[in-house]
Amino acid sequence: MREAAVPVKLWDLPVRLIHWGFVVLLPLLWWSAESGRLGLHKTFGLVMLTLVVTRLLWGLVGSPTARFDGFLRGPRAILDYLKGRGETARAPVVGHNPLGGWSVMAMLTLLGAQVALGLVTQDVDGLESGPLNSLVSWDTAEAAREAHELLFNLILALVVLHLAAIAFYRFVRKDDLVRPMVTGRRRFSEAVAPPHLAPLWRAALCAVLAAALAGWVWLGAPPFGARYPWDQPALAPLDAADYM
Amino acid sequence: MQFSKLAVCAALLLPATAMVAVAAAPHPAFKLRHDNFEAMGRAMKSTFDQFKKPTPNLATIRKNANVLAAAATKVKGHFPVGTGPEAGVKTEALAAIWARPADFAAATDRLVDTTKGLQAAAAGTDLAKIQAAAGAVGGSCKNCHDSFRKPRG
Repeated sequence: MREAAVPVKLWDLPVRLIHWGFVVLLPLLWWSAESGRLGLHKTFGLVMLTLVVTRLLWGLVGSPTARFDGFLRGPRAILDYLKGRGETARAPVVGHNPLGGWSVMAMLTLLGAQVALGLVTQDVDGLESGPLNSLVSWDTAEAAREAHELLFNLILALVVLHLAAIAFYRFVRKDDLVRPMVTGRRRFSEAVAPPHLAPLWRAALCAVLAAALAGWVWLGAPPFGARYPWDQPALAPLDAADYM
Repeated sequence: MQFSKLAVCAALLLPATAMVAVAAAPHPAFKLRHDNFEAMGRAMKSTFDQFKKPTPNLATIRKNANVLAAAATKVKGHFPVGTGPEAGVKTEALAAIWARPADFAAATDRLVDTTKGLQAAAAGTDLAKIQAAAGAVGGSCKNCHDSFRKPRG
């Protein structure tokens, strides 16, 4: 079945870079949190935020194999794929299969939610906190810390499922999914229409937008028109009662 | 028959639960110091939240400074002998508190001094001074946590 037709480029550079970025970042985030290097953890978290937001934007304006409207399929397509029947199951899938597409969405959702929780959470001793911690109450921040720990376990479970699926395709279906995620290319047993990959400048634009968002968050999300962060704020006027 | 079985079970279980209750009743210092530290944590967060606002509220900062100064004086007395990790109660207090009492006293004294400093700074209206004084309080928290609180993870 393999080694037949010419290799088709199906994963564009942004998809691959972001994917392997997650692979590198997740262990770093875990390690920096476990060892109490929270300054580093926050930096990695903002890089994660940039990656996730870039990927979400790329899911709207990226290459066909990167776009949500291309790979998020309805329940019928998923069932057909699982049962190996119908058009979706027989035709070679150039991109995510109907089930894998939702696993991508689940992973991005979990990572995005995890970053969002990290922005407002605080450490057990309250000495370190996320860049948006001042926007929420103490109790919200405490709840966010518990949820941040819980969500990490969910992410871990999804990673295990992801690896199990890769192993299943590798050893049962004799289909290597890792190599294409590195090279971007894979061979198909029959002629397929190669996807028309989106230009890289568009991905750069997504990354710049995402990095700008991360920078704004890093500054504590000051309202637009706010003073420069290095200016001294003025004190709110006091009531007479406050002098008592 | 059914009833008598139940009665025997209850008779056997009651003293057992009572014994467990006695064994599990922790020294009041555990909760006292936990609540005291949490009150300080809340006051610190509330203070630093004000610094992040375009117009920090001095009245809130003063209130927090008072809470911190009052709570700081209690810390030293919240660690009686026997309330360390050996007590079998979940605690992040390290045995170093009792092994190096002079160092621990110095650390709690530093907290008392810096919270008094914050109170003094907050009596005025110089925000830069207040922020520096609040930073010093944070430094005294960290100083003590580094040596006497179980590291996270």
